Amino acid sequence: MRSFIILLAGLFLANTALAEPVGSPIPVGIAVGQTTNVALFGEEQVNGAKVAEKLLNEKGGVGGTPIRLAFQDTGGDEAGAINAFQNLISRDKVVAIIGPTLSQQAFAANPIANQAKVPVVGPSNTAKGIAQIGEYVSRISAPMTLVAPNALKRALKLNPNVKNVAVVYAQDDAFNVSETGIFQEAIKGMGLNITTIQKTSVKDTDFTTQVTAILGAGVDMVVMSCLAADGGNMVKQLRQLGYEGLIVGGNGFNSPNMYPVCGQECTGVIVAQAYSPKADNAENKAFSAAFKDMFKKDPAQFSAQAYTSVKVVVDALNEVEKSSGKKIAEMDTAELRTALNAAIVSSSYDTPLGEIVLDADGEITQKTFYVSQIKVADDGKTGTMELLPE
Amino acid sequence: MFLENYGFLIVAIVQQALLGMSLWYPLMAGQLSLASIGFYSMGGYIAAIMGTSPAFAAWREALGPALYPVEWLIALAASALLGLAVGIPALRLRGIYLALATIAFVQVLNVVVLVLDVTGGAVGLFGIPQPFESRLGYLWFFGPLLAVMLIFSARLTRTVAGRSFMAIREDELAAQAMGIPTTFEKVRAFVIGCGLAGVVGAMSAPFLNTWNARQSSFDASVACLAYVLIGGARSVWGPLLGAALLVALPEVLRPLKDARLIMNGIVLVVACIYLPQGIAGLLASLRRREVA
Repeated sequence: MRSFIILLAGLFLANTALAEPVGSPIPVGIAVGQTTNVALFGEEQVNGAKVAEKLLNEKGGVGGTPIRLAFQDTGGDEAGAINAFQNLISRDKVVAIIGPTLSQQAFAANPIANQAKVPVVGPSNTAKGIAQIGEYVSRISAPMTLVAPNALKRALKLNPNVKNVAVVYAQDDAFNVSETGIFQEAIKGMGLNITTIQKTSVKDTDFTTQVTAILGAGVDMVVMSCLAADGGNMVKQLRQLGYEGLIVGGNGFNSPNMYPVCGQECTGVIVAQAYSPKADNAENKAFSAAFKDMFKKDPAQFSAQAYTSVKVVVDALNEVEKSSGKKIAEMDTAELRTALNAAIVSSSYDTPLGEIVLDADGEITQKTFYVSQIKVADDGKTGTMELLPE
Repeated sequence: MFLENYGFLIVAIVQQALLGMSLWYPLMAGQLSLASIGFYSMGGYIAAIMGTSPAFAAWREALGPALYPVEWLIALAASALLGLAVGIPALRLRGIYLALATIAFVQVLNVVVLVLDVTGGAVGLFGIPQPFESRLGYLWFFGPLLAVMLIFSARLTRTVAGRSFMAIREDELAAQAMGIPTTFEKVRAFVIGCGLAGVVGAMSAPFLNTWNARQSSFDASVACLAYVLIGGARSVWGPLLGAALLVALPEVLRPLKDARLIMNGIVLVVACIYLPQGIAGLLASLRRREVA
């Protein structure tokens, strides 16, 4: 019993740790899904972050001190995200966390970081209310409010005679449900008719019912909010059963994983994007060249957003070092986290996504968006996103 | 340091053990039901709605922290009632058909929460009020519940009801021939499990900060079943041992990255082949050997 009490007392004392310096290299946490079906996006994010670590350290890191990324896999569920955050905060002693991949995980894990006063930058959380979770939470992924209408406008330019529109969305996916809301408002705002609304599920593979309904409604445009696998299949079946009109896809179509699913049938699909590897700015040129060098392919949007998150943290760290006059590595971790959070918000950054601004809430304002058309190569497995001219 | 790192994990083990236990009661009466996770999800939604919806603002104001026990009671009542409604028709089915029917029930529940506004659709509910600063604090929720349920289970095995459950498990026809009202007993075992799952759900919503339809996925059902089978379906301690192993393993093996899921799978396979009575069965046979 006595030894138990001593042990408990020891644990308690260890908890009230003394001031701890950050140390060199500066640890930055990456908590994204590297396993389960979220890994499809998580792996792209890991790649983007790795490019950021290499590129930013080559540029001198934070005033000469390099950064080191600490990776923790969140898996695909809430408990995994909480565990990953907990590990990064108390074991890896990171100065900030980038993640998690899904908005639903962010709702579970971000309050934990907020309580521990550790800044979180969300690379891909697009749901409403993320930045409002707390003072220490910000995100660099634009909500779809601006992106979606752009794609519709560009589609109307290609075919000004569009009148009747079919809307399709995956009803069991948080992102697609919120995206379709924005699409539907934009469609009505442009004076078009929504003739039919079809619901799917992200695990569906057979879309005969939905395709028949769309063909029967005689529409000139189909606007889809689905993920890569189900969306690709749906496009394929639409085309195979004879639909010839325009197809506009949301952010879920924004992945090279689409091409092998739907092959040639995807050529011509219009996609709204928050990032394009062809974007014409210096930051993006450096990033996409380094990415191609490392992974032999064009970066996807998730990679660019992960890169951007790391860059935001590093830029803010540089800012803290400049304004405080102290070396980051020698600062107390808790103190630095607070200063870093203050530096992250209310600033603007040059990134591969173009210029972005984070307001005092940690909410992003992005200046440039892109609209591309999918072009699948003859092999039916690879392809490119061709930027549509302004 | 240790508690700070693993506080969440420790509570998660207890929470999952309780969930496994909710499946253990129907199994005790020989019924393979996977419905628990549906009631868990429903209990969670009840707590999440009461914690966040403006309609309950007056309740939150008036009750303060007493709101949590009220949520548990409502979840318990709702789960037991729904359990009764589902149990009476479903328990006419046997074996694999009952498992399929309960899976279907969970799927139906999932579709319902996806289309309702009050459950937040696909995004779910978030910003659920927190009674504790640290994750470890939730041990005050789950710990006593686990203790009560363990005592209850241990007592149950010695009562008429418990013995009837086990008689049905061993041979339903023989049990019936001896005058045990089998349908009544099966529904009773099922409802106990449903009620427990509902309460665990209501406690888990604040613990996870957020609640959505993915809490009741098919994977989660199977995980629950695995806790009981690996831990030992015939021992009171089975669900706890199983949950401790299966919840902790992926976390402890975190440094192995992708390989940890393979390790998890290997443990499952090995346990299924070599431990038909689960870990509890292994421990019991070890003790028997020692005595002999």
